Amino acid sequence: MSRKNETTVLFDVLGPKGRRNANIAAAVSAAVILGVLAYVAWVLYGEGFFESSRWVNPLDALVVETTWVPAIVNTLVAFALGSVVAIVLGIVFGFGRISQFALTRWASTGYVQFFRSLPLVLLIWVSFTIDGHFGFTTETLGWSGDARRLTFLVLGLGIYNAAILAEILRAGVNALPPGQAMAGKAIGLRHGQVQRLIVLPQVLRNMLPAVLAQLVILLKDTSLGYVITYPELLHSARIIGNDYSNSFLQALIIAAFIYFVLAYALSKLVVLVERRMRKTTAAPKAAAQLESTVAGGVAGTTVA
Amino acid sequence: MFDNFDLMIEALGAGMWTTVWVTLTSYAIALAIGMVLVVMHVSPAFPARWAANAYTQLFRNVPLLAVLFIMYFGLPKVGIVADNWVWALLGLGMYTGAFVGETMRSGINSIPLGQAEAARSLGLTFGQSLSTVILPQSVRAVIPPLGSLLIALVKNSALVLAIGVPELTARSRRLIEDTQSRFDLWGVIICVTVGYLLIALVLSYLVRIAEKRTAFVR
Repeated sequence: MSRKNETTVLFDVLGPKGRRNANIAAAVSAAVILGVLAYVAWVLYGEGFFESSRWVNPLDALVVETTWVPAIVNTLVAFALGSVVAIVLGIVFGFGRISQFALTRWASTGYVQFFRSLPLVLLIWVSFTIDGHFGFTTETLGWSGDARRLTFLVLGLGIYNAAILAEILRAGVNALPPGQAMAGKAIGLRHGQVQRLIVLPQVLRNMLPAVLAQLVILLKDTSLGYVITYPELLHSARIIGNDYSNSFLQALIIAAFIYFVLAYALSKLVVLVERRMRKTTAAPKAAAQLESTVAGGVAGTTVA
Repeated sequence: MFDNFDLMIEALGAGMWTTVWVTLTSYAIALAIGMVLVVMHVSPAFPARWAANAYTQLFRNVPLLAVLFIMYFGLPKVGIVADNWVWALLGLGMYTGAFVGETMRSGINSIPLGQAEAARSLGLTFGQSLSTVILPQSVRAVIPPLGSLLIALVKNSALVLAIGVPELTARSRRLIEDTQSRFDLWGVIICVTVGYLLIALVLSYLVRIAEKRTAFVR
């Protein structure tokens, strides 16, 4: 749908002469792009970038088993736990912002505005550092080493993304026709019941694409576990790169490729969900309004 | 709580300044890249469209930190060496550029098809309909999302601490890990928080002004 609009929004369907010009432009641009790629490849080849040993060594069966696989698992665990915390807190604060109690409203607004404007890396690192300044440390709870690092990574990811999800959900509530809540009140439901039975299910459903798009960002942000040396993918890639110093760049590129595959699969899921929503509900309209409301959250929701 | 307050403010002020200029410079790079990308996206030459798409997908699906690591720690292995702040600006700029390109494209796509058709049926050429009908409208449509990208870039700029650029977060980290422990943890945390909030507030105020300045009189 967007492809067709894209090419015809600015000019008419091309005639024979226009088609010829377009073909020439295509050939020229293809030549330029291939030329640049070939030059880069040639330079890299000269530096021995493509030597097979450099790629094979960091992918040795032992390294895969002891480092890559646990690293991917650690990344996914942080992603899963972070998503759960973010979604639960996001629902709490998103609905807190439209609560009928002023105090809840203020507190939730304060939370969202505050955490939305701080860098995630600062949150993760500060929460990790202030552990032990509350009169106890998490180590006395029996958490130590990686479990403790995971805790603070998840905490940081969850707290930060909850603020953004709360904004997404609030936008979803605002996009919902007001008649829905009114109808609920008219049949005698209390405020809480209206929110729980009528508003929340529809908002969650409508905002699913936007929420998933934010989760893609959360997945990428698990790489920030690096600052507290949580053994996630990027951190492990650097360790492997240090072990095989000839393959340092290759190890990082392999890690980037794995991130790409994970994030791309997740964002394809977003597109799939979006397409289904477009068929059944008014969701894309609400999702389109989001891009201006959510700071930093660049959802793949471009509605032509 | 605020022991050695003047020293702390001096260090954090320098960090804030670094954060601000890194943000603004890399945002300029991102805008330039985004414009090139959007031209490639709407061009009739399909290889250009593919290249723009590949670039966008690449930077949207790889974490910024991985990009910075590959640039600063990885590229010297193949003989490409530059200072850390060069990679910081380039990395942030290229990463954000992909998002800027997408935002601008959705801005062009958000203009109803009828606008372009009306322009063409009035006999305007491609260039005229672009410069007098489509672009003025889409620029206004993309200012708010471009503004939120700028605010997001302030936060993303904290990541360049990993390649040793002394911006606000890195400075505060250095203060807390001070060998003589001259600074109180909570004091530093409060100040660094206030610093980021200030930057975000000022920038979002500027974005709002830009929005008002360019708004249509309806």
